[in-house]
Amino acid sequence: MFRSILKNNQGLSIINKRVTNIRNPNSFRLLSNNACHQLQNNPLDSKSNKISPNNTKTSTDDITFKSKKPLSRVPIGVDGNSGYRNGNERGNENVNGVNSGSIEFSTWKAGILFIIVGSALSYFFQKEKKRLEVEREAEANRGYGKPLIGGPFKLINSATNEEFTEKDLLNKWSLIYFGFTHCPDICPDELDKLGIWLNTLKSKHNIEIQPIFITCDPARDSPDVIKEYLKDFHEDIIGLTGDYDSIKDVCKKYRVYFSTPPGIQPTQDYLVDHSVFFYLMDPEGNFAQVLGLNSDEVTGVENIKEYVDNFVPTAERQKRDETWYAFLFK
Amino acid sequence: MGWLFGDNRKKVNTRQEREKCWESRDLFFGCLDKNNILDVRTEKNSKLAKSACSAELKGFENNCSNSWIKYFKEKRVVDFKKKKIEQEMIENNIQPLNLSPQQYNSMQKK
Repeated sequence: MFRSILKNNQGLSIINKRVTNIRNPNSFRLLSNNACHQLQNNPLDSKSNKISPNNTKTSTDDITFKSKKPLSRVPIGVDGNSGYRNGNERGNENVNGVNSGSIEFSTWKAGILFIIVGSALSYFFQKEKKRLEVEREAEANRGYGKPLIGGPFKLINSATNEEFTEKDLLNKWSLIYFGFTHCPDICPDELDKLGIWLNTLKSKHNIEIQPIFITCDPARDSPDVIKEYLKDFHEDIIGLTGDYDSIKDVCKKYRVYFSTPPGIQPTQDYLVDHSVFFYLMDPEGNFAQVLGLNSDEVTGVENIKEYVDNFVPTAERQKRDETWYAFLFK
Repeated sequence: MGWLFGDNRKKVNTRQEREKCWESRDLFFGCLDKNNILDVRTEKNSKLAKSACSAELKGFENNCSNSWIKYFKEKRVVDFKKKKIEQEMIENNIQPLNLSPQQYNSMQKK
């Protein structure tokens, strides 16, 4: 204990030396803070502090010093005040008045400021919260208008016998068609139409689309059968099949109705009733548009082109909506 | 894979075979038109078709699978009815309405 006091005394003497040389009010404040913390139990305390105000000779130094003063928790203020009173005989009443009552004054002022700012902020946030709630609801409603078509699936690519999932739809436009190889007249016509679309889109508009054929008749349409069947159509068409459950699942997700007669054997001769649609999927794997029997060789191409041209990626759309204060909405 | 392409189903797996089936179907239906037979699914009409268009029927049955034959026979009736309605519309100068579901609903309410 004694040792530390000794140390403090030594430190104080150094500080005192420094303080006497100080002209810069900022460094003065720093030093006086240090000094005061060290000197809390030191009887030399008042002496050392008395030096400080007297060292700030100019009035500007005084003001700066006083404004910084609340940062110090030391009795420096008491001595300092008396020091100022004595020192500031230039009649600077204003500065002295503020200084003397500053602690009490700023407490209730800060209180009022706190209440005003606090209530203003809480009002603002409550208002914003409500606005966001409305916005979210609108967004949700907008979501209801859009059919929920598509989703994860796991099928087999008939050409490679490899797995084909919804991830293979990414980064390119896809046209998905549901059919079956024993289809009497509509499917072959539609697949021929698809071939024309693909060629026109590629040659005229330089749009490449991944065409996909998914069978609704997994019992008979094995990968080999589909491979053989698709030889008659556009060479880009990817044929997909799978077991009954995975086909049923993907048909459900794409809202495709299909009926395989109950209790059927693969060797039997039957037809599958199914809905006839092309599903246009965007490069993010989301459903964009459905093309039915009514879109022909010309209108189908126009329709697809319109979607491809006007596509804005979700990330870009979000970025467009984002602003610098977007973090408030999260 | 032989069991998969057993008997008549093999005929409809390639483009040529499909086209062959469609051709023979058109021949048979053309003959039915000439003889004023519409629905060959009835017993009476199928007997009439057998006697009037036996060669065409044989070709149709040889080139198409049973499920396709059944389907085309049904389709013939549906297509005929559709054509008839369309003709009536043209004769009576009826314009088809292309209504969206929303438009249709609002019309129903009125």
